[in-house]
Amino acid sequence: MAVEIRLSRTNRIYRPSEHLQGQIIVNSRSSISHYGISLLLNGSVNLQVRGGSAGVIESVYGVIKPISIVNRSIEVRPSGKLPSGTTEIPFSVILRQPDENLGKFYETFHGTDINIQYLVTVGISRGYLHKSLSATIEFIVESDTADFLERPLSSEMVIFYITQDTQRHPLLPELKSGGFRVTGKMATLCSLSDPITGELTVEASAVPISSIDIHLCRVESVILGERIITETSVIQTTQIADGDVCRNIALPIYAILPRLLTCPTVFAGPFSIEFKVYTVITFQSELSKVHPKTDPRTPRLWLAIESLPLELLRCRSDD
Amino acid sequence: MEFRPRDYSAEAKLFLLHRDRAETDPLSVPSSQQANIADDQIVKYDDPLRASDDDATVSGVYLEDTENSSAIGVPSESAFPPAERDWSSFTRFMMQRFSVSKLVSVTSVSNAILKVGKTYERSSTDKHLEELEDPQNITENEVKVVTRQDYINRLREFKDDLVRAWNASDRVTSLKISVKVAKLLKDTSVLQFYPTLFVLVTEILDMLGNFVWDRIRSKTEFTEDGARFCSLPEHFKIKDICQNAKETCYNWFCKVGAIQELLPRIYLELALLPCWQFLDDQPVVVIQRLVMMARGIADPLASAYCRLYLTHCAQKFPSCDIGLLVSCVNDTNAQLKHFIPAKETKTGSSTDSKVLLVGVIEPTIEYIVKCIFKNVSQRQLDGTLVALGLGRNMENSQCVSIVLHYILKELPVEVLSSKAMEFLHLIDRSNDSSFRQFLNYRLHGLRLCERRPPVDIVDAVMHNVLEVIAQNESLDEYLTVIDAYLDIVLQNHLDSCVKTILDAISQRTCNRGIDENGLLSLQSIMGKLLSHYQHLEDVFALSHFLEILDLLVGRPKGIIIISILKMATRSSYIRDPATVELLFEISQALNDSFDFANMKDDENQPAHLLSRFVQLVDFGKERERHLAFLVECRGAFGTIDEVKDTLVHSSNGLAVKALKDAKKHGNFVKSCIAFSEVTLPSISTHIKQFNLYLETAEVALLGGLISHSGELIDSAISCLHNVDMKEGSRAAADADLLLSSIQKLCSLLVMLPGNPDHGSAYFPKILVSFVNDIPWMTPKMRTRILCAILSLLATCSQNRLPYHADNGLFWGSNNVFFGDLAYLHELVSLSELIVENLVNAIEQESSGAARGILALEVCDSFLSSFTLKDETYAICSKLMETAKLCMSDSNKYLQSTFQRLEEKSQSLVKC
Amino acid sequence: MVLVLALGDLHIPHRAPDLPEKFKSMLVPGKIQHIICTGNLCIKEVHDYLKTICPDLHITRGEYDEETRYPETKTLTIGQFKLGLGHGHQVIPWGDLDSLAMMQRQLDVDILVTGHTHQFTAYKHEGGVVINPGSATGAYSSITYDVNPSFVLMDIDGLRVVVYVYELIDGEVKVDKIDFKKTTTTGH
Repeated sequence: MAVEIRLSRTNRIYRPSEHLQGQIIVNSRSSISHYGISLLLNGSVNLQVRGGSAGVIESVYGVIKPISIVNRSIEVRPSGKLPSGTTEIPFSVILRQPDENLGKFYETFHGTDINIQYLVTVGISRGYLHKSLSATIEFIVESDTADFLERPLSSEMVIFYITQDTQRHPLLPELKSGGFRVTGKMATLCSLSDPITGELTVEASAVPISSIDIHLCRVESVILGERIITETSVIQTTQIADGDVCRNIALPIYAILPRLLTCPTVFAGPFSIEFKVYTVITFQSELSKVHPKTDPRTPRLWLAIESLPLELLRCRSDD
Repeated sequence: MEFRPRDYSAEAKLFLLHRDRAETDPLSVPSSQQANIADDQIVKYDDPLRASDDDATVSGVYLEDTENSSAIGVPSESAFPPAERDWSSFTRFMMQRFSVSKLVSVTSVSNAILKVGKTYERSSTDKHLEELEDPQNITENEVKVVTRQDYINRLREFKDDLVRAWNASDRVTSLKISVKVAKLLKDTSVLQFYPTLFVLVTEILDMLGNFVWDRIRSKTEFTEDGARFCSLPEHFKIKDICQNAKETCYNWFCKVGAIQELLPRIYLELALLPCWQFLDDQPVVVIQRLVMMARGIADPLASAYCRLYLTHCAQKFPSCDIGLLVSCVNDTNAQLKHFIPAKETKTGSSTDSKVLLVGVIEPTIEYIVKCIFKNVSQRQLDGTLVALGLGRNMENSQCVSIVLHYILKELPVEVLSSKAMEFLHLIDRSNDSSFRQFLNYRLHGLRLCERRPPVDIVDAVMHNVLEVIAQNESLDEYLTVIDAYLDIVLQNHLDSCVKTILDAISQRTCNRGIDENGLLSLQSIMGKLLSHYQHLEDVFALSHFLEILDLLVGRPKGIIIISILKMATRSSYIRDPATVELLFEISQALNDSFDFANMKDDENQPAHLLSRFVQLVDFGKERERHLAFLVECRGAFGTIDEVKDTLVHSSNGLAVKALKDAKKHGNFVKSCIAFSEVTLPSISTHIKQFNLYLETAEVALLGGLISHSGELIDSAISCLHNVDMKEGSRAAADADLLLSSIQKLCSLLVMLPGNPDHGSAYFPKILVSFVNDIPWMTPKMRTRILCAILSLLATCSQNRLPYHADNGLFWGSNNVFFGDLAYLHELVSLSELIVENLVNAIEQESSGAARGILALEVCDSFLSSFTLKDETYAICSKLMETAKLCMSDSNKYLQSTFQRLEEKSQSLVKC
Repeated sequence: MVLVLALGDLHIPHRAPDLPEKFKSMLVPGKIQHIICTGNLCIKEVHDYLKTICPDLHITRGEYDEETRYPETKTLTIGQFKLGLGHGHQVIPWGDLDSLAMMQRQLDVDILVTGHTHQFTAYKHEGGVVINPGSATGAYSSITYDVNPSFVLMDIDGLRVVVYVYELIDGEVKVDKIDFKKTTTTGH
């Protein structure tokens, strides 16, 4: 005796204005009497603060109350009997009811401290004598494109330059004296379906370059009482230069945004999700070999770092 | 016994076939129709020779030939598209080109190869691909050593693993293996092994690319339960692709995009490049980005090969954009410029290692440049040239010499010849250590020769080349460059240029030796001069030519002399005394440099040419001079058998010419005969020697020198005694040669019947004793020689001899001995001895079949030589019995001989 | 109709530098189906030249031939005729009809072609035909230095043969013809 939910889309992505469609599949050797089959839609923002950068109040861990987005039960079948064998029960549930005025349908997001998740659960109640049957499946919510602007203009590039003088941390003496200059530009407003684009040029460097990497980071902030607890984590690293590249040749910056690990930039009341791009230049140095790898954003003598904020949007996609 | 009387001239008259003047004949071509020879098909003649084109027997042969050749000509790989075939032959060539030592040194980057165990933890598809990154990826300088074979085997294992994972629908593992394999290309410390590594890795990546392509394609054509719902057209658009397939495709690019390291990410994207066609109608933008991304790979070797793979993958698109390839070349150019120091600053070992590295990079440049010019259309050509910096403002462009080399090599020749000067200046500016500058000059010259540029350009180019190359101190390089340009110089008849070149060579070489490469170039230069001029005299007239010829040594010298001799022997005679003298000197040099004794006959071209030269020298009426020349030749080339052979023929021929021309020739003919006589004994092949003795004896007879002739025949027969037949296959053939020459001698002796000093049957007698004395004489040979002597005796017994060396008078010569009973008696008694010997000789023949034939031959010979009497009939009948025992009754020769005997015996009965 | 070129005793280069120009201009490729050569070419270049006139080339060995692997005698069948080939320096005495007839019987041929005497001759003897094409270059012979260059072309058609004799006399090519039919059926 088993029950499962099969959604109509293999990628399980739905928009709030759409119907969540699928089938409830019950497999049983004998016929089953039940007191009704229902679906439970549940969407919520779960916040948690781990030690880390919060660091102060360990007692607050896990205390924050989840924010509910949707919590609705729908009866699919009234009480009755299911025949033996496989029974497929189709369903179609609109996610956001037009009159409903609950919280905003944030996009699905799985972060370190912030977890936005949507679940659908089927329940077959069989009275007190029998255990009720249930199955749960996660579906993914992407915002309605109608909620947002047209695709941002890719020409909106932020120009940056990195030299020994833009660094606020100590550098290798030869780096400080010899100097270096790397310029670049990058789109800081970016559609989730598009890659991060830009370019970067090494104009000069006295010390040979070992690598240039683009680190995509997410910044999750949770308001806890009076405090804002922020957690920044690297979600994707993309190398764009391997070794001491030619000077004055533009290197493309191109990074596809990883699914699920990114979502539109959110500033909600109790929490926010933001993104940042770190451009890190690693210079060749004997010192770097003795140090174990750490967070690339940690300032080191042989590193030059530049960070740019990145705003992500859900845009109307091609289809 | 009694010789059968013959009347040769009456017989000849009796049996002569009547001849008429032929009004038409098969070879005649009426003069009015001569011009139409080529149009056989149109003009029909009754002439039998004209119709031969329609003759089935002849045309059938040609037909068969063409069919055969076409069957061989079909390439077996024709099923593959040309680009794929080019690639696979290119990669195969590349793997063979770099000989790799058995051991490959690798750094820790290649630790995938070093790991022994190979357990890949399975992971669910929705896990993020961060784990693709090797956590232990710390660059260490530690160098480890793997055997080449282990490395290759490991790669094969990876390939097998990938196939297995894919077949098990484990896409993540497939991708992980591919990334792991692609990462190996980061390790350029393997250097010479890198091309092989590249080929093996890209094979795996191509395979993954095909898998993914097929999978996505099948998603567009089949539903999940495998039912086909549509068929994708060959050139599909993205609107033909269903959402599900697009989703899968995008997912693959996301996964690949998440690879942290640049190099494996580019390679994986390239492997999946064709899949962009499912997402984008204009995938060229993607390739453009990848070209730019490859600039981020600083290692020149890694980036060069990355561009090679890019070129390969870009060609999978129906229309490959030339601009992209041009960018690749320009990027390589820029990178090498950054990496390779200018000539001046070279510092020993680091330059050497860079030269080695450039050698490994070289095939990538070659391939990409080749692709550009292979695919470029006439319309695109100008734009492409501009993009390469070879447009209008070439004087500012810079090019690394190795890149320039391949551009020069592949450039359409008309571009090169229209901008010959500009390219010359570009070569001049590109003087770095990646490629030897003089070789680019050389290539420039060779390419120009492909299509004759206008004469004024050649003039300007040569002016410039000579100026530039004059500064080059290396003789070898100088000669190499000159050699390349020589063809256009000659084609355009720039005689002053030729003079300058020859002067310069002479000047440069006057005080120093010339190395091996220089010799080869010089050889080529000389060869070109030789093939340019029609007449040897013109070549000899070139300033310093002979002086430069003297510079050559060893094999190149031999080859050039051989060319000169070939050129000289092309004409049907050599008459100019100065030329003869020069050729003689050159031939002497050739003779000194070759070891003729140790050469096989078939390969002995120099000896052949020398004797051709001797044959062709013709002093016309100045025969004394000619003979003196032959004497000189004997002195110079006396060690070469073939030449001695020729010398005897020539002096004999000279004697005959003298006989023909003038009445007063006596002493000269004697001198010629004497020359031959002196030359003859040193000829090492006895059969040749014997034949030449006979020829000289004939010529002496023609000149009326009967006693000379007799002495020569004496020498000839004594030379026979020196012949030693060895066992073996060659011996039988040699015995046949010798036999036929001895038979010829018998015919010759008809003209020299007796020697008054030694008795009338002197020569036949010594021949009989020769036959009986020689231990190696086979029964067959003995029989045939004895038959020959018998025929000789029968002929000598006639009143009128069939011929006489009497200025061509053929029949009717009186036999001076005829009527001399003592003479006749001597002949008869000798012939009786021969008959006896013959009968014995036949019995000694061990092979039955051979014995039968010999018996018939002897019988036939008896019937011809003797008048049939009881005594001879008895012998003949006995011989017939022997023959019948040994042969089948159906044998034609048996039948005809039997018939002949019967016919003759009829007359016997009548008598 | 088959054209057979018969020639021999060229003695190139020892006794003549080349074939007479007039002969060469007549002997163009594609007309002749077979060449039979009695021998004494003497060098390989001549062999190669003959091959260009017609690839079907049959040669027997003369005593001065550079190539000693040519056979002593050779027979070939063309249409209704069996042809025999030999150089003829082995015949005693040279050119003797009786001796040639013996060779013809041994080889069992209808037409025997031999050389060596450098004189064109054609005989009908004992039912067979014996032809000597002479010397194609007019080289001096064992007997005489007064030789006119000559060769023979046989046009074989059924049982009939027309023998064309080409002789270069005083710089002019004279062509004679001899016509004969095969009468005896030798049964091959």
